[in-house]
Amino acid sequence: MPAQSNPHQDELAELALKRVLASGAEYGDIRLLDSTTQTIRGEDRRIASIGESQDSGFGIRVLYHGAWGFAASSVCSLEEAPRVAELAIEIAKGSASVASERVKLAEEPVHRDRVVTARRIDPFSVSIEKKTALLLETMEAVHRQAGIVRSSVSLWASRDCKLFVSTEGSRLEFDLLALSGDFDATAVHDGRFATRSFNTPHLRMGYELIEGANFLAEAPRIASQAVEKVQAPITEPGLYDLVLDPEHLSLTMHESCGHPSELDRALGYEANYAGTSFLTTDKRGTFRYGSPHVNLVADNREPETLAATGYDDDGVACQQWDIVRDGIFVGYCTNREVAPKIGETRSRGSNRADSWGSVPIVRIANIGLEPGAATLDELLADVKRGIYIEGHGSYSIDQRRYNFQFGGDAFWLIENGKRSHMVRDVVYHGITPDFWGSCDGVADRSHRRRYGFITCGKGQPGQSGWMTHAASHARFRNVNVIGGQAGS
Amino acid sequence: MNTTGHKTWPKLTSREEFRFLADLVLKHSTGDHTLMSLHDQQSGTTRFANNHIVQNVDTRRGSLRVTVAFGRRHGTAGTTDFTAGGLQEAVAKATQIARLSPDDPEYLPPVERQQYTTSPTTRPETAVAGPARRLEYTNEAIGQCRMENLGAAGIVSSSVATVGVAASTGLFAYEERTDARFSLTVQAGEATGWAAAAHRSIDHLKIQERTLTAIDKAKRGLETRELPPGRYTVILEPAAVAGLWSSLLRTLDAKAYEKGTSAFSGKLGRLIVDKRLTLRNLPAHEDLLGCGFTADGLPTVASNWITDGALTQLAHDRFTAKKQGIDKIPTLDAPCLSGRGSSLPTLQELIKSAERAILVTNFWYIRTVNPTDLTLTGMTRDGTFLVENGTIVSAVKNFRFHESPLRVFNQVAAFTNPSEAITSETGKLLVPAMTLREFNFSSVTRF
Repeated sequence: MPAQSNPHQDELAELALKRVLASGAEYGDIRLLDSTTQTIRGEDRRIASIGESQDSGFGIRVLYHGAWGFAASSVCSLEEAPRVAELAIEIAKGSASVASERVKLAEEPVHRDRVVTARRIDPFSVSIEKKTALLLETMEAVHRQAGIVRSSVSLWASRDCKLFVSTEGSRLEFDLLALSGDFDATAVHDGRFATRSFNTPHLRMGYELIEGANFLAEAPRIASQAVEKVQAPITEPGLYDLVLDPEHLSLTMHESCGHPSELDRALGYEANYAGTSFLTTDKRGTFRYGSPHVNLVADNREPETLAATGYDDDGVACQQWDIVRDGIFVGYCTNREVAPKIGETRSRGSNRADSWGSVPIVRIANIGLEPGAATLDELLADVKRGIYIEGHGSYSIDQRRYNFQFGGDAFWLIENGKRSHMVRDVVYHGITPDFWGSCDGVADRSHRRRYGFITCGKGQPGQSGWMTHAASHARFRNVNVIGGQAGS
Repeated sequence: MNTTGHKTWPKLTSREEFRFLADLVLKHSTGDHTLMSLHDQQSGTTRFANNHIVQNVDTRRGSLRVTVAFGRRHGTAGTTDFTAGGLQEAVAKATQIARLSPDDPEYLPPVERQQYTTSPTTRPETAVAGPARRLEYTNEAIGQCRMENLGAAGIVSSSVATVGVAASTGLFAYEERTDARFSLTVQAGEATGWAAAAHRSIDHLKIQERTLTAIDKAKRGLETRELPPGRYTVILEPAAVAGLWSSLLRTLDAKAYEKGTSAFSGKLGRLIVDKRLTLRNLPAHEDLLGCGFTADGLPTVASNWITDGALTQLAHDRFTAKKQGIDKIPTLDAPCLSGRGSSLPTLQELIKSAERAILVTNFWYIRTVNPTDLTLTGMTRDGTFLVENGTIVSAVKNFRFHESPLRVFNQVAAFTNPSEAITSETGKLLVPAMTLREFNFSSVTRF
């Protein structure tokens, strides 16, 4: 959908926002979105499904006497636009009738712009045959390894064409791509089974992401590590030094830093579902979140990352800012509604909706761990008894983001400064500030990798947030590792 | 604001309209087989926090999916465009994908025409409920909390959807489904209390009763003591039981069983939980959210999954079912867990009968740690209490658990009759509250 050249959309937007302004509302915006998603999934040497869906609609947000209303529809017609606008106004008036405090939006300059994901190869132009051939060959390569009983593969591509128009005069067009691919291998041994995974990061780029990932070269390694993993000895519970790889850290950062730094959570907006935050507003600027090695930076401007969309769904320009500096908690992810509640004059631009039918809410930014000065070998060299962890596994954290437990995808014992053999069923547990306080080394920029999430759950009705987390390897001292079996 | 009801205009796709759309799609398709499905929904949610409305939304979303197959090659396209042009594009896209896709050895043509029993999937009072009704319930919950100087955060939601499946084989299924939900977290300083409900009828949400329950839990949590991690006798309220059982039910996949990648491999027909426990699917139960048919168009069926503690059923896809000669595929859309023999009538009776136990309102963030033995982890949330000599004596700081339902549901000391349960991480179930022995709490958090 070339948003900039569709007069029907502009007419629909104008029609809707005229109604909003005529109602006496102080603010309104409309997002028209046409999303195309292609998913190819395979399992056990077969292509199980190929689907492409078109999801189009528009959502209208109205702020009336300091209270919100939102209505949306997949019927994209000039007749439907006024109905939906009137419904949004009616709902906002209902909210206002019971409001005891008024929402006041942080100021934002008017923007008129167009944002397009840079791409070398349009993923939708790559043939289905080429994609399915890659996936089938990948599964074949996985199954060549003795001991493998199952495999799965997938390719996912998304294109969002969006038009945002506000009553303040902003008009923003977007043509955004996102892409990812993955496969895994499952091995059985002695009544147990274990899976090893390979994931490209979710990034905003073209099919060159998949071509560069080299599935066929990686498949034998993943398959052989699945077999090694299922046969590996069990981990003895106890205190270990951990060296975590960037993919693993992306999840640790997401859960233990990303979510608690969402200001709407800290203010109680998510108390009934995703939870609140131990990073309460009185802690900003003084609370020791981690060791001085820990610098966590939000950067919604880094090209190719999921939250780098130019502008958020408040129409606020994407920015870069500190969340944790030298171990001290200093900043939140905000939107235009919540930023003024902590005295900030401008939103950080982290308000995003997962579709035209969802209202935007504060989402985690592209939060990354700043590189240090060490190499991975140097981090390992100073570990007598530790575990090196790659990838994502089981994860769980309390609703204020203190008490967490993480597994991983693959684990190696570190003995006297060297990675030795794989171990299995590693689960580590910690309290967030204690854990980040135990970080005593981060690898340099040459080790930095990015991993994205498209299934970050928050909000009621539930929405999926998209963001990317970058990190280099990092080392943590004396972390509590427990067994991964029932009742252990 | 209109207080009498909600205008659902344009109207949701009717049975006749769906038949018209299906005929159009089937006429345009050149595939050997074509399957089409409809999901057209009007839904709204009023969300509140700190005793204020923070979101108030209403969304109409209609979507269609078309699957076209040539032999064993198949492709699917989805669209929100219900115009003739939109449908033709979807058929063309599905056709294009199917022609380019490789053979799928597990593909099966759509099922033939089926007979459906009428299921109680819709209630008119929910279908007409709109923003005004949701606002009324929101005010009721907030008002009660304000009177107690407590903070309310929660949602009131309602939706109505029309759902259909049609195919070139003559298959045609259509029904209307409604859904209403209420959940509330009451904040009393650091303490929280919670209650939730979901029902086909918005009249059955019991806002006042559930708000008082959440208030009571929050007030009891004002003074909290910390207990060490370890093995405790626990009294799990129905929501906590539902959390553990939902994790168990999600892993009953027959293909994984067959391949040896299931925690249940080799256990079909054998005892997996206490022999007094039986799990049935009851799609026609008016307090569950069962439906009339599946996404494949197969009728949902009442069936036993666990009988007297023994695993008697697995979740089959059509291919695996055919391979194993199963004609009628059991569904698990409306689970009910019940106990045989002497049960206690209420949760209060379970509490009264306990010498020392931890009472758990709900679990949160339940995840699989070890898929081989189904070890799970998760946190207690929104009301965790110490019970001594039949009385709640204090709130306790939240625990993390590290346990397998396959172990702890063999440690059943007592149970009540099944009652309604829903959490933010589960569908709706009917389950008893239960007292379980030696439940492993592996760590404690800071609140």
